[in-house]
Amino acid sequence: MKISLVAWILVGVAISAVTGIVAAKDEVKLAAKDLLPPGSVSRTDGLAAWKRIEAVVTHPRCANCHVDAKAIPIWTPAGETKPRVHGMNIHGGESRIGTEAVPCSTCHMTSTQANEPAPSPPRAGIDWQLAPVAFIWFGKSGKEICAQIKDPKRNGGRDAAGLVEHLRHDASLNGFIPRGWAPGEGRSTPPGTFEDHVKDMARWAAAGQPCPN
Amino acid sequence: MIELTVNGSKQAVDVVPEMPLLWVLRDELGLTSTKYGCGVAQCGACTVHIDGKAVRSCQAHIGEVAGKSVVTLEGLANKEQHPVVQAWIEHQVPQCGYCQVGQIMQAISLLAKISRPTDEQIDQVMSGNLCRCGTYPRIRAAIHAAAARKMAEK
Repeated sequence: MKISLVAWILVGVAISAVTGIVAAKDEVKLAAKDLLPPGSVSRTDGLAAWKRIEAVVTHPRCANCHVDAKAIPIWTPAGETKPRVHGMNIHGGESRIGTEAVPCSTCHMTSTQANEPAPSPPRAGIDWQLAPVAFIWFGKSGKEICAQIKDPKRNGGRDAAGLVEHLRHDASLNGFIPRGWAPGEGRSTPPGTFEDHVKDMARWAAAGQPCPN
Repeated sequence: MIELTVNGSKQAVDVVPEMPLLWVLRDELGLTSTKYGCGVAQCGACTVHIDGKAVRSCQAHIGEVAGKSVVTLEGLANKEQHPVVQAWIEHQVPQCGYCQVGQIMQAISLLAKISRPTDEQIDQVMSGNLCRCGTYPRIRAAIHAAAARKMAEK
């Protein structure tokens, strides 16, 4: 009996692993469709793509949770442009998900349901969290962010194609990135659309990830 | 029908998945200890436990809570009074009382994580639970008392 139970568990684990691999491969396939041949985009067009990417990643919807090791998220209330620290004395902690005190998920639901109008806290298909410390965007210049995003030591070990895959993977989980353009009524959105952003990341990649001087 | 466990009992509710858990608790199940304060997770009055974690029930849609275990203040009642509730009574914490159920549920969650919290840790965890009567010093004292009691009982 015990042996058959163990066997079923092993089968379950194997199926889960295979399913995971298939899902990951699907995302790679999807991202492969987005990618352009290296060198097929000029440096000038690549820099133009970067300027559009920069406008996205410095927008409050995207930058406010890319904060430093103090782990204090930023708020830009609906109808305002001035950033301020997150209310309620919230700290993401070393965990970056608030485990040490108040988890982000106390208020930000993990869900595939649509966001509610501001000021209800946005939800996402992934547990709400701060980006890793190395990925600081808030308060950084476009030039600094560009250098960080293309540096595998500070971007989660991703090459140019990996960054595009990251966008598709996040979208497959109903994650934070596409929800930046659907944050709930009343909140501003980054310029363009999620699909525009994926295309720009692919153009920037094909141009060799040029950064402004 | 959406099924969940509330205070140890299986429940099935026939409502839209977007309905806030708070509505379900109060209007469908008649559990009115949990209070509506702001409706946007900025006051903490509606705090309950979902699978053991403090969550603002005004934000959790019932469709997101399907299959999970919810505990409200009513679920704390058994033969013996919960040590946190006991401390709340001993320190006469409430003034108007409206926010206090949320405060208690958040405090229980804090003590489950940090058995002897410092003042700073209490402030950090309880800052999302507002009290318009300003009972914060008594809340802090009651949390320390509950922590000491729980340690003594071990």
